[in-house]
Amino acid sequence: MSVATPPRGDAGAQAPASSARVKKSVDVPTIIVTTAVIAILALLIVYPLVRILVMAISPAGSAVVAKMFTSPVNQRIVLNTVILGTVVGAIGTLVGFLMAYVQVRVDVPGKKVLHLLSLLPVVSPPFAVATAVITLFGRRGMITHGLLGAETNIYGLTGLTLVMVLSFFPVAYMNFRGLLSSLDPALDEAAANLGANKWHTFKTVTLPMLVPGFASSFLLLFVESIADLANPLVIGGDFTVLASRIYIAITGEYDVPSGAAYSLVLLLPAMLVFLVQRYWVSRKSVVSVTGKPAGKPALLDTGARWPLYAASLLVVGLVALIYITVIAGAFTKILGINNQFTLDNFKYVLSGIGNESIKDTTILALIATPIAGLIGMLIAWLVVRKMKRGAAWLDFLGMLGLAVPGTVVGIGYAIAFNTPLIWQKRMFLPALGGGAAMLGGAIAIVMVYVIRSIPPGQQSGIAALKQIDPSIDEASASLGADSVTTFRTVTLPLIRSAFLTGLIYAFARSMTTLSPIIFITTPQTQIMTKQILSEVDAGRFGNAFAFCTLLLGIVLSVMGLLTLLVRDRRGAGRVSVGGGL
Amino acid sequence: MSRLKVAAALAAFALMATGCAVEDAPPASSAAPASGAKLSGSLTVVCGAIEEVCAAWTKGFEAKTGVKTSFVRLSSGETVARLAAAKAAPEFDAWHGGPADGYGAAAKQDLIEKYVSPNAAKIPDKYKDKDGFWTGVYVGALGFCSNQKILKEKGVDVPDSWDDLLDPKLKGQVATAHPSTSGTAFTLLWTQVVLRGGENQAIDWMKKLHVNVLQYSKSGTAPGQTAGRGEVAVGMVFSHDCVLYKERGMTDLVVSFPKEGTGYEVGGVGLIKGAKNAANAKAYIDYVLTAEAQEIGPTVGSYQVLTNPDAKVDSRMVKLSDVNLVNYDFEKSAAAKKDLTARFDAEVAAQPKS
Repeated sequence: MSVATPPRGDAGAQAPASSARVKKSVDVPTIIVTTAVIAILALLIVYPLVRILVMAISPAGSAVVAKMFTSPVNQRIVLNTVILGTVVGAIGTLVGFLMAYVQVRVDVPGKKVLHLLSLLPVVSPPFAVATAVITLFGRRGMITHGLLGAETNIYGLTGLTLVMVLSFFPVAYMNFRGLLSSLDPALDEAAANLGANKWHTFKTVTLPMLVPGFASSFLLLFVESIADLANPLVIGGDFTVLASRIYIAITGEYDVPSGAAYSLVLLLPAMLVFLVQRYWVSRKSVVSVTGKPAGKPALLDTGARWPLYAASLLVVGLVALIYITVIAGAFTKILGINNQFTLDNFKYVLSGIGNESIKDTTILALIATPIAGLIGMLIAWLVVRKMKRGAAWLDFLGMLGLAVPGTVVGIGYAIAFNTPLIWQKRMFLPALGGGAAMLGGAIAIVMVYVIRSIPPGQQSGIAALKQIDPSIDEASASLGADSVTTFRTVTLPLIRSAFLTGLIYAFARSMTTLSPIIFITTPQTQIMTKQILSEVDAGRFGNAFAFCTLLLGIVLSVMGLLTLLVRDRRGAGRVSVGGGL
Repeated sequence: MSRLKVAAALAAFALMATGCAVEDAPPASSAAPASGAKLSGSLTVVCGAIEEVCAAWTKGFEAKTGVKTSFVRLSSGETVARLAAAKAAPEFDAWHGGPADGYGAAAKQDLIEKYVSPNAAKIPDKYKDKDGFWTGVYVGALGFCSNQKILKEKGVDVPDSWDDLLDPKLKGQVATAHPSTSGTAFTLLWTQVVLRGGENQAIDWMKKLHVNVLQYSKSGTAPGQTAGRGEVAVGMVFSHDCVLYKERGMTDLVVSFPKEGTGYEVGGVGLIKGAKNAANAKAYIDYVLTAEAQEIGPTVGSYQVLTNPDAKVDSRMVKLSDVNLVNYDFEKSAAAKKDLTARFDAEVAAQPKS
């Protein structure tokens, strides 16, 4: 039980020559895994991004980059982007932490419901949450205007923060929940025995051990919110951020080079936050798990639990309200305008036009999910345990699929994969996407799903692994297991909760990805999110909400199945694994 | 042993990296004559109109010719970006629907090919490209899409003049899209240039309007929906969208037009450069210009004015004779777009609203 830590080598951020315990053995299976992971990332994200970012170096692109720093309009856009990322990152992380803390450490009733509702926003189809928020809290919102008689202006930073925090906090929640339940309660008990009260214990024992969780959650939410496009389009108002500026350049000004240049600028804040969090975590990392925890944590049962409970009820109340709105929208003509009950929306959606897209999307997402989940865990394992130099790079590469807005990824994919790669009459890569490719371009869609879904699992995996004492790996190694066997039989079971987070997120995200898909869909591959967009365009909100409701049902069912599959079968662990579904 | 494994792995990689030999690229399909020969094979259309009308158009062509026709629905910007990305081997054969300025941008980037259909002779000159890159299939007039309930609350009449929108009672009650992202909103901006006799005057008028604008949305159709929800009193959209939303259940909406004159869009059809099924694409273009094909639109919720004078007029369409259309120069407006929208960004959108 290493509470006070010697500065343990953190994934080679600074290679710890001093620490003799952390011996990173290099063996052949590790080399093969490393090469394979890097090759996959190179194909899935580096190659398409290089193809599009080269355009940013063109004269038109460089002019945009130069203007970025001189034009007040552009400076404002960059500032807005950073503000949005920071606000959403901070609030979303705190909300996720609150929900996880209440779930794991506080003695209150109704935790199962809290848990389910905290997971619900994992499924946020584009447009659904933002539209529900407008219906509820807009100027003519059912609550703000209908109940309170106010005329609020939700468009802009307020609305964006509300929508994004609600959509993104579950990943922080799952992350913290895994971390908190694997913390050994003996530490708290020790602190209590030494006379510390609950608050003091929390501050000096629990919090420091969660630093990797805070850092990875903030990073993930920051990156995700600045690269998100759907929400700024619906509820962003005049609050223009880089992601929407990129969209303007590409779809409004027919100017892909400028779009590429803006996305280059967008990578800067993402990279900065990434570096800061790595530096910060590397200095504060506290290893706390040396195996499975023994004993039950003492639950918080003082009066302090009630304000925490109230706050968490507020959060899930909002979530419930929004999803009830979405579902209600599916059963009415136009929610908020004509609330007459109808089943027509489902009849329409299930009568051909929707069936195929539901089937195609679900199959493609199911293929992408295990791939993304496994790659995420492998990256986490390589970054934390195996790589000396370059760990930071690998970590960042894995994040790229999320750090770059979907529009840019989509065009990169169209450039890179919609035609075969032929050089000197030799084909190195057949066309993987677009109408001319095999399987109707489905391969490129799965690739996009994978690359966009890796980061949540990867970050949860990293946070979880950093908590675990490497001596467990070493014990396995000294008993003769090679590193891949160790990963499979020792590491993976210990980070099962993070793995589950990765899988759930991968599936939910695949099912709800829209902007990159636009550039690689074909007549043969019908994608649900695109159908939703079409319905909104055509003014049939009921149908759009019906699609979202079906999507919600599919994702929740798959989440339930995944939880059962990945559950700790030996039943020994009180390390409850994302269970309870 | 481990060295052997490494060597094997490296060898495998080396093999992968050498690639497979390919035949010389097959010769680009020779442009077959547009008419005469019996059609066969398939056709892929990139379609810029709403989903249902795309489906109905392609189905109509398939029924008529037996050519297996499929489509992907994309906005103009997305179409241009996607065509540019795979220029060497285009996935699409024809482009149908979506504003003419997108076709202009595609022609400039060498992505579409000239094709003047024999059926284009019927279409009035102002609805087709003089160089033959695109031909107009429908026309939409910019109008006011107002929510009567909100107007009544605010004590304002249904607007019938541009300056009606400047009424202080409508503060924060006007929705329009951003001219950079939306062809609709750029049409609004250019209409002011035409009406007020210059870019400076147009920017000045937009500055006055700015005080009343709730938000500049990204999508051109969103203002109609915003008005339909009662979030604002007036949205500025092409009138056929407003008619559609009203029909779909936003019953408080009402369409009106400014008496000083308004702008319009022309939706086009064109041939993709290097199309694999060029003969089929040409036949498709011929088909969609016929009265028969154009009449499909209003049956599936598309109430734009049709360009073929023989096509039946639906009662839900605007009568162009009732609306005062400005003299809209598409070439000139396209050339001015980049600088004008940059000015809009700096001088209008960035200003505080009080």
